[in-house]
Amino acid sequence: MKEIFRYGLVLALICMIAAGLLATVNSFTKAKILAQGQKEEEVGLREVMPEAFQFEPIKSQTGEILYYKASDKEGRPVGIVFKAEGKGYSSTITTLVGMRDDFSISAIKILSQNETPGLGARVSEEDFAGQFKNKKDLNDVCAITGATISSKAVIEAVKKKVEEIKGLIKQ
Amino acid sequence: MRKVIGEFLKGIIKENPTFVLALGLCPTLAVSVSIINGIGMGLAASFVLVGSNLIISLIKNFIPQRIRIPCFIVVIATFVTITELMMKAYSPALNRALGIYVPLIVVNCIVLGRAEAYASKQSVVNSFFDGLGMGIGFMLALILISAIREFLGKGELFGVNLIRGFEPAFFFSLPSGALLVIGLLLGFFNLFKAKS
Repeated sequence: MKEIFRYGLVLALICMIAAGLLATVNSFTKAKILAQGQKEEEVGLREVMPEAFQFEPIKSQTGEILYYKASDKEGRPVGIVFKAEGKGYSSTITTLVGMRDDFSISAIKILSQNETPGLGARVSEEDFAGQFKNKKDLNDVCAITGATISSKAVIEAVKKKVEEIKGLIKQ
Repeated sequence: MRKVIGEFLKGIIKENPTFVLALGLCPTLAVSVSIINGIGMGLAASFVLVGSNLIISLIKNFIPQRIRIPCFIVVIATFVTITELMMKAYSPALNRALGIYVPLIVVNCIVLGRAEAYASKQSVVNSFFDGLGMGIGFMLALILISAIREFLGKGELFGVNLIRGFEPAFFFSLPSGALLVIGLLLGFFNLFKAKS
């Protein structure tokens, strides 16, 4: 019986020291990690909507970001940027989409995916993602050979989200 | 001093964690698609190995024999979490490329294996060099495997296309290709050992 208390005490002590150490590391990497995330988002936004000067997040009532309103230097709206998610072959593919006011796509960027390397993972490459530029009708985007599921996932996700956003704007 | 150098060197060839001990093969299969990934994973695992070996050897007399495994795991997990936080803060691209395999270093059997088989019995200095040697041995193995796979699977090394017009066999980029490459290398290592 006495042993159990000793074991518990030793383990608790080790855990306490570990927790203290992690709290310290966390306290000075937290700001940096947050800043990295924001920087990445900013870079992504600019990439899909190069003509825009600033981006204003539009939030739903529950506080999540629905889309970003992009405007040029004079503050005139040029379009919106939003995220589209679709289930690919082995992961959920998240795509950032820039859409101009005339509902044509300015560009897309794959934010995260975990598809098969060399096959589905190629959706992030310019050969595929570049096809979306200046398109209104996404039916003539060519899928990648051997990666139909991943390609379709991106196309369908973008299509669906475009319709959703159109509905939102009309309101 | 000579002994210390021996402790360090044995992890690189004689007891190479991947080719001789055949430990930690799961992350090896998964991340060895490009040399950069291999180096990143190798560095992260080396840091964890050195840190956990050092601490475990320091507190080995304080840890009761019957609860040693949970104690080791707490120490290892702490180092892994520190590595992950640092990577996220200073090298987010690498962190994304390695993905889930960074937190999974916790269950990499090389780390727990060295803690159990070596650091919990040996002096602090020896454990430090054992961890360093094993870590570098793991990294070199990863670099070798990923160089072969990146070249055959993508026709590239360090992300640079080497031969124009070379049609890569991207089977080598897939896990099955990794299995084949690792198997052949293991065979060569055994052949080499049998001869010497």
